[in-house]
Amino acid sequence: MAPLPGSGLAKGLAVTLRTMTRKTVTEQYPDAQPELAPRTRGVIGLFEENCTVCMLCARECPDWCIYIDSHKETVPPAAPGGRERSRNVLDRFAIDFSLCMYCGICIEVCPFDALFWSPEFEYAETDIHELTHERDKLREWMWTVPAPPALDPGAEEPKEIAAARKSAEKLAAAARAESPEAAGPGPAGSGAPGSGAPGPGPDGPGAAGSNPAGPGAAGPRAAGAGSEGGDA
Amino acid sequence: MNDALDVALRLLVVFVVFLTLPLIVGQTEHKVMAHMQGRLGPMYAGGFHGWAQLVADGVKFAQKEDIVPAGADRRIFQLAPAVALLPYLLVLLAVPVGPGEGAVGQVLDAGIFFVLAVMGVGVLGSLMAGWASANKFSLLGGLRTAAQLLAYELPMLLTAASVAMAAGTVSLPGIVDAFEWWWLPWQIVGGIVFFVAGLAELQRPPFDMPVADSEIIFGAYTEYTGLRFALFLLAEYAGIVVLCGLTTVLFLGGWHGPWGADGLGWVWTLLKAAVLAFVVIWLRVTYPRLREDQLQKLSWTLLIPLSLAQIALTGVVKVVIR
Amino acid sequence: MSLAGAPQGFLSPTGVEIAFLLVGLVTFGAALVTVTTRQLVHAALWLVVALGGLAVEYLLLTAEFIAWVQVLIYVGSVVVLLLFGLMLTKAPIGRSPDADSGNRWAALTVAVAAATALIWVVVDAFRATWIDLDGPAAGSTEVTGASLFQNWVLPFEALSVLLLAALVGAIVLSRKAKTDSSSPLANSRTATESSRLITKSDEDSGSPSSGPKGRGGRSERVEANKRDDRGGPAAQEGAR
Repeated sequence: MAPLPGSGLAKGLAVTLRTMTRKTVTEQYPDAQPELAPRTRGVIGLFEENCTVCMLCARECPDWCIYIDSHKETVPPAAPGGRERSRNVLDRFAIDFSLCMYCGICIEVCPFDALFWSPEFEYAETDIHELTHERDKLREWMWTVPAPPALDPGAEEPKEIAAARKSAEKLAAAARAESPEAAGPGPAGSGAPGSGAPGPGPDGPGAAGSNPAGPGAAGPRAAGAGSEGGDA
Repeated sequence: MNDALDVALRLLVVFVVFLTLPLIVGQTEHKVMAHMQGRLGPMYAGGFHGWAQLVADGVKFAQKEDIVPAGADRRIFQLAPAVALLPYLLVLLAVPVGPGEGAVGQVLDAGIFFVLAVMGVGVLGSLMAGWASANKFSLLGGLRTAAQLLAYELPMLLTAASVAMAAGTVSLPGIVDAFEWWWLPWQIVGGIVFFVAGLAELQRPPFDMPVADSEIIFGAYTEYTGLRFALFLLAEYAGIVVLCGLTTVLFLGGWHGPWGADGLGWVWTLLKAAVLAFVVIWLRVTYPRLREDQLQKLSWTLLIPLSLAQIALTGVVKVVIR
Repeated sequence: MSLAGAPQGFLSPTGVEIAFLLVGLVTFGAALVTVTTRQLVHAALWLVVALGGLAVEYLLLTAEFIAWVQVLIYVGSVVVLLLFGLMLTKAPIGRSPDADSGNRWAALTVAVAAATALIWVVVDAFRATWIDLDGPAAGSTEVTGASLFQNWVLPFEALSVLLLAALVGAIVLSRKAKTDSSSPLANSRTATESSRLITKSDEDSGSPSSGPKGRGGRSERVEANKRDDRGGPAAQEGAR
């Protein structure tokens, strides 16, 4: 059925009227702080204890807006008789925010997590020179860095946690594998008291599986080990 | 002496209304338009929801330098805003808001003709501005203004004539006095045509081709600045007030209402006019600008036949009920 | 209404009479400037003053309806049409040096003759007639309408027939330009469109100034195309 003539006009009127009754989307910024997204790129904070003056950030910066000065200091050897070691000491770390384009490459490349995004954005100046934030100011920004937001549900695990969990699981599996073996052959063998010894644990299952001689052959070894342990 | 005082008082009241109502309409437009677009609109001037925004605008305009272009026709250029604004002040004198002689600036025998005639004169100001600015955009704006006026004056007159036929008088208070509730469906087509044609005559969006900012900057007002520009803007908003008042008086029964007719009639008039002003703003926000040929086509092929049909209907009904 | 009695006279004019005279002078002056000024748009605007002055005169004679119709038709529509036409011309902001037809004296003679005739006729017809301004309005809408549609309805209708004739004439004139050079199928829309195209192209080729130029440009373009064609294979060979 063809639409009624003028129905488009009425629809247009309805749209504007409906919008009028809805909530506005205006941000009343100076009166009310905006709700910023997590990981908002406001300003860059420096955690200088982590900085090794590797200069990666300054080199990767597309705008060349990071200035780093440093000198080397020698540190006495840790152990007597050892070699003296040298260490970079940071003299100046400055970011010129009048040049910065907020790409975040410096933060990505920093291998020691010394640079962080902070959501603070109200640092306009009347003099462009004041937009070059020196070390102390960058450090001040550091205290405004929020805790990293929680991962999305169903997201991939962080690598560190994944690695730690993997090794933990391995250990747990090993422990589980050993305890039945110790419980199984132990009574069949000599019934030595040292079946819980950690030494043979890892290769215990492998030996049990690969040895065609069966538990009879394994028995003495385990018993021997057990006796050794008992001896010790 | 008492008469003189009375006249002076009436003139003063009309003048105050002339200065305040357009500002109220303008402020409403700011706010309504903003909310229809999901914004808040002015919030700062005056403290409470930006109520003084237009006052601040006026102060700003008054501070600006008054510039007349070197190539312009100086006298006409300077005279144009007054020619554009004054007619609306005069029209406001004749619009009755309530029953009796106390609620109208001046009772005129041929009120409808006075109102339409003087409103037509207001467009002369735009024409003068468009020609005297020595600017091709202004000239184009002036041309479009003239073409639009010629196209839309006719349906306006015809529909007003329809109401005058129905009421048997051309006096504005007389028309409202003769109003019955069933005139509403009877004259509805005429009312819509009158309102639309009036919008077009005021060059309000969607009929703002003469000032289409995206193609001819600001039409006839391109070269204006400061107070004279403000006067043109004031003329536009005063025009809205006048148009809404007239539509109320002619087609919506003015001070007649379902209740509270005694003493509170003027509230009805103002209420109806306010609703119409809201519709004016609503239309502005909703519809895109009509192209020049669409403008002309709308008038000559739709509004004028409709108004002629309305006159025929009015005549037939008038003869039948007699 | 003929009250040529004692209360009226020329020696003790009332306020309305003085105002009438003054407005009349202003109207007359504006009319004079209208025809003598060399600035075309100013002439149109002075015409507004003159016509407005006439409206005020009607008002002073209590003919309110006529006054507003005068403003509506003449100031609101005729002058706007006039200005519209002027804006379409090349009317300069300042004086137009050629805004004089050279018929100054003939025009003056005709104007004076017409004015004399009118004044003579009017004075002769209403020599001793006075309008009573204080009584009921003699020119109100009701009175005007009643006299128009009771006593003068035949001339009124005759005038409307005249207007109808003018309308028909306008339509004929505006259609004639199209039908002149078109095919017999002038009524159908497509035919008129194509006929317009035909006339346009005829004009283009017929006008001596634009024709050769246009042709020259076209031939040049053709040559350029040829050169491109020739250059195309050569470039390809070079690439090989």
